[in-house]
Amino acid sequence: GKAAQPKPAFTDEAVQTLLYKMTGLDLHKVFRPVKKGLKPPHYKLMTEAQLEEATRKAIEEAKTKLIMPPVLNEREPIDDVLAEDKVLEGTETAKYVFTDLSYSIPHRERFIVVREPNGVLRKATWEERDRMIQIFFPKEGRRVIPPTLFKNENLGTVFQQDRHEDVLNMCIAQFEPDSPDYIRVHHRTYEDIEKRGKYDLLRSTRHFGGMVWYLVNRKKTDGLLIDMINRDLLEDAVSLITLYHMLHPDCQSAKEAKEGKLEGVDLIKVFVKTESQREGYIQLALQAYEEAMATSSGS
Amino acid sequence: SPYLERPWEYLESEEYRAAYGDSPVWHGYRRRHKGSVPPQRARKACLRPGSPVGNPCPLCRDRNLLVHFRNVKLLDQFICPHSGVIFDPIHTGICMKQHRRLTQAIEQARDHGLLWLHVPFVPVPEEDFSNQHAAVGKTPPAPALREPGRAWYPWYEWQQPPADRVARMRRLYREFLTENYPDTPPS
Repeated sequence: GKAAQPKPAFTDEAVQTLLYKMTGLDLHKVFRPVKKGLKPPHYKLMTEAQLEEATRKAIEEAKTKLIMPPVLNEREPIDDVLAEDKVLEGTETAKYVFTDLSYSIPHRERFIVVREPNGVLRKATWEERDRMIQIFFPKEGRRVIPPTLFKNENLGTVFQQDRHEDVLNMCIAQFEPDSPDYIRVHHRTYEDIEKRGKYDLLRSTRHFGGMVWYLVNRKKTDGLLIDMINRDLLEDAVSLITLYHMLHPDCQSAKEAKEGKLEGVDLIKVFVKTESQREGYIQLALQAYEEAMATSSGS
Repeated sequence: SPYLERPWEYLESEEYRAAYGDSPVWHGYRRRHKGSVPPQRARKACLRPGSPVGNPCPLCRDRNLLVHFRNVKLLDQFICPHSGVIFDPIHTGICMKQHRRLTQAIEQARDHGLLWLHVPFVPVPEEDFSNQHAAVGKTPPAPALREPGRAWYPWYEWQQPPADRVARMRRLYREFLTENYPDTPPS
């Protein structure tokens, strides 16, 4: 066979450039007005050059806001016993948690141990660690006990209000990127978006890259492809298929594309014929797009 | 009240429409006071044990309006639609007891995701997620504990003290010791 190449990771440059291109940069959505305290409006008179300078600065600020959160595997649970002192059995009725409060060490290198009433001295579990670190070093937007809206029953109500972006922002504020709750909430959100076809809610936000990565890994790209073609974003569709071929190099469309060195609409057509489940819909969307192109170029 | 278990149904009923129409529940309510300037403090409570006050506040005067975290339409009437801030009780006219219950219900509703909540932008954390450090990974056991049956400190098991120490203690407390007081305690 051929030499097994390492599977591309989320942090690879090629993958990140593709995802960043697909995310788009709509300044009106990134800097949309938010409900806050009322102030009288502020007007500025600018020349063309000043306006361009201000737009350039706004684009740079938007780029910092669009940095994608990391996609990690679930963390391994900690169960490490440091000592078992049977001498202390029966002396106390409650657990004691000892936290190292030195200011300048990163939180992941902080020692937090628990002495149980039966004398066992063990390292604290991840949930205990997160709780203790939040109590002693509070972070903005994070609560000691996570809000009830992250439970599976309550996520449905929030999704009905189309507040997927808010949920994901709150999730980033509340949980660590490798905690099981973070991964569960993100997967639920992506599933709900894919079920309803509301991909546009996350476009121009920092969560779009994660969603595309999730869908491409599970080969559920049909709805997204239809949405892109309907909105006339053919370059995005092409980059989506390129990413698919990078992650699944053994599929038939990847081999055909590599042999024929296809580009653009041909790539999409080959992909649609071999890999997609909803061929009919995608063919219809492509036809509609081509007709629109023909009419606009003809008139 | 017939809406005890489902208070949100009252806000869609005919009686509510007839009584309030489209305006919020507190619209048009005025305190009764002496002088031209109304008191700048809200009333403490409308319903005390004994008779209720004259001119109760908008939430106390209608027994079907129940402050519950699930009737979002009622809670929304007390939140500013532009800034997302809860109105002052002097502005709406409700008593302090109801205002406190209302604030708790709004916080609960925001917690459950039924009401809009301002989500601050938290930048992506930039730290090492490899979890290789000893604080969150495995540490090898201490040298004292490597053999099974060994304890952390040698004094965890009973050790016979040196003979001169035992003799000194015996000399100090010789008036209080019984005869045949043993050197080693019975195990």
